[in-house]
Amino acid sequence: MIRLQNIEKVYRTDTVETLAINGISLDIAKGEFLSIMGPSGCGKSTLLNIMGLLDEPSKGSIKIADQDITRFSDQQLAKFRNQKLGFIFQSYHLINDLQVLDNVELPLLYRAGSAKERRELATEALAKVGLSNRIKHFPTQLSGGQRQRVAIARAIVGRPQIILADEPTGNLDSAMGNEIMDILINLNKNDGTTIVMVTHDENMAHKTHRLVRLFDGSQVQ
Amino acid sequence: MFKHLFKLIWNKRKQNFLFLSEILVSFMVIFAVFSLLVFYYLNYIKPNGIEYEKVWSIQYSNPLKTSNVDSLETFYENVRRTIKALPQVQELSFSVSNYPYSNSHSTTGFTYKGKELSPIDNYMIEDDYHKVLGMRLLSGRWFNKEDKIGKKRNVVINSTLKQAMFGDAEAVGAVVGADNEKETWKVIGVVADVKASGDFLPAGKGFYKRLDSGAFGWIGTILIKVSPDADAAFESRLHKLLARTIQNSNLEIQHLEDMRDSTNEDTIIPMIICITVAGFLIINVALGLFGVLWYNISQRRGEIGLRRALGATGSSVSFQLVSESLMLATLSIIVGSFFALQFPLLNVFNVPTAVYIIALLLSIAFIYLLVIFCSLYPGKQAAAIHPAIALHEE
Ligand SMILES: Nc1ncnc2c1ncn2[C@@H]1O[C@H](COP(=O)(O)OP(=O)(O)OP(=O)(O)O)[C@@H](O)[C@H]1O
Ligand SMILES: [Mg+2]
Repeated sequence: MIRLQNIEKVYRTDTVETLAINGISLDIAKGEFLSIMGPSGCGKSTLLNIMGLLDEPSKGSIKIADQDITRFSDQQLAKFRNQKLGFIFQSYHLINDLQVLDNVELPLLYRAGSAKERRELATEALAKVGLSNRIKHFPTQLSGGQRQRVAIARAIVGRPQIILADEPTGNLDSAMGNEIMDILINLNKNDGTTIVMVTHDENMAHKTHRLVRLFDGSQVQ
Repeated sequence: MFKHLFKLIWNKRKQNFLFLSEILVSFMVIFAVFSLLVFYYLNYIKPNGIEYEKVWSIQYSNPLKTSNVDSLETFYENVRRTIKALPQVQELSFSVSNYPYSNSHSTTGFTYKGKELSPIDNYMIEDDYHKVLGMRLLSGRWFNKEDKIGKKRNVVINSTLKQAMFGDAEAVGAVVGADNEKETWKVIGVVADVKASGDFLPAGKGFYKRLDSGAFGWIGTILIKVSPDADAAFESRLHKLLARTIQNSNLEIQHLEDMRDSTNEDTIIPMIICITVAGFLIINVALGLFGVLWYNISQRRGEIGLRRALGATGSSVSFQLVSESLMLATLSIIVGSFFALQFPLLNVFNVPTAVYIIALLLSIAFIYLLVIFCSLYPGKQAAAIHPAIALHEE
């Protein structure tokens, strides 16, 4: 599903050059649930952003869903992200000025479809994460776990083949974290969604199919 | 997308309040300035109604002690003959001091068939007045010798007054006067409007009555049309001749062309001040808008990064930001237009409705252009925000 070959990522600032990713090759199968672990600053988010086409690698090639996206234009990348990928972030990244339902509809705004369809899909996605009774709330009126569930609903509303989650349980207590984890596991099992998850939590990582450890930009396991 | 953006700005109406009121205030200022400019412009493109080149006015004070009509008439007929005898003088008419560009007004007004017609400029002139000024008769006739016989009360009215009284119907032959008084006049002619207060102001309603000879004691103005070769030397000769003919009088010769220029300046100078002040205000507002939008974008980097991650292209992000500004501007414009429309509805300044409508449309277009201008660059900057970095920051 995702094939990374010899990915390198160098961040250059005025004074220093940081080698965030140093020659990583990774093959992720369709329907796989993969977790990535490693100490802070080892390049986990960077790697995930590269898989999510939010960032370009300095070197190496990426193939996602059998498409070589190396030569994609800004427009093609945007469309690809919109249709094939779903993102979940550690800090949720909800728009506080929009109600839960409108936040979940967000990815659908960037593709064709009627307002009614959007409403239906978003309501359905919220039902899946057990938030049907909060659709008119604003994000600031929700708990952290609820917010993360909204973010998951937003990630799945467009029925992506791949979900990329960057520490989705990082800000939550273990009970909430387990709840989120269960939702992801169900998505992977029932819908066959490929999931790549960055985590600091060994317990969470062990619930997934495969664990990849990074250290200083390189894969160590 | 439209509904989505509307929800977004509606939910943020408190934060957007500054932006909204800034646009509302500038909209009102722009509307006021445009109303003035449109008013002046619509007047400006209308004909002057007179040929003021080579028309001179002679102001004099009556030196005669007598109030005997015959001796006054004899004296001033001699003055008339003396001036007309000069080859450079083509036409001559005595007049009351409220001739065009004189800045002097004599107004009357009355209710005619229930229509309030005041103010009406009341001109008292002679048979050749229209020849001196090159006024254009639209229908009927001008005064002639016959109007002197008996006590005929004939009047020539201008086109504006004719429209106000009769609309498109025939005016010549009608008998007019105040509803509540016996005094009436018969309309014998309609002349084209004369913009007596300068090129930028309306002609107003004009009522032209024939001077009778008893008026020579107080009228004080002679208008003459001189030939193209009448120069400064001629003017000083004329002045000396006048001094000999009307002794012990304060005499002053003025050129209507100069008087027109100074009358126009009375309008233009305040207009320029007004435009300059408004211009500075607009520059300030533009910088303010630019700043607000710029700040907005720096505050919303996370949201922009998120939208990019979820499938927005760079151009759809900048389109979104420009659209949001335009929608906010629209809200202000709706409120502003409500206030602006009160001016024609309540007829506050007695200015034609068309002036306000044109000014309103121009103001709307101006505000939209201003907002587009101020949001294009911040919008472009937003499109360049790198999603990974923007999401990383929070
Ligand atoms: N935009 C950037 N500019 C410069 N350096 C960067 C940038 N983003 C990340 N880095 C550097 O790249 C390295 C990897 O960062 P990354 O965010 O991928 O770490 P991480 O493994 O996700 O850490 P954490 O667990 O703390 O989130 C770090 O050394 C970081 O300083
Ligand atoms: Mg990270």
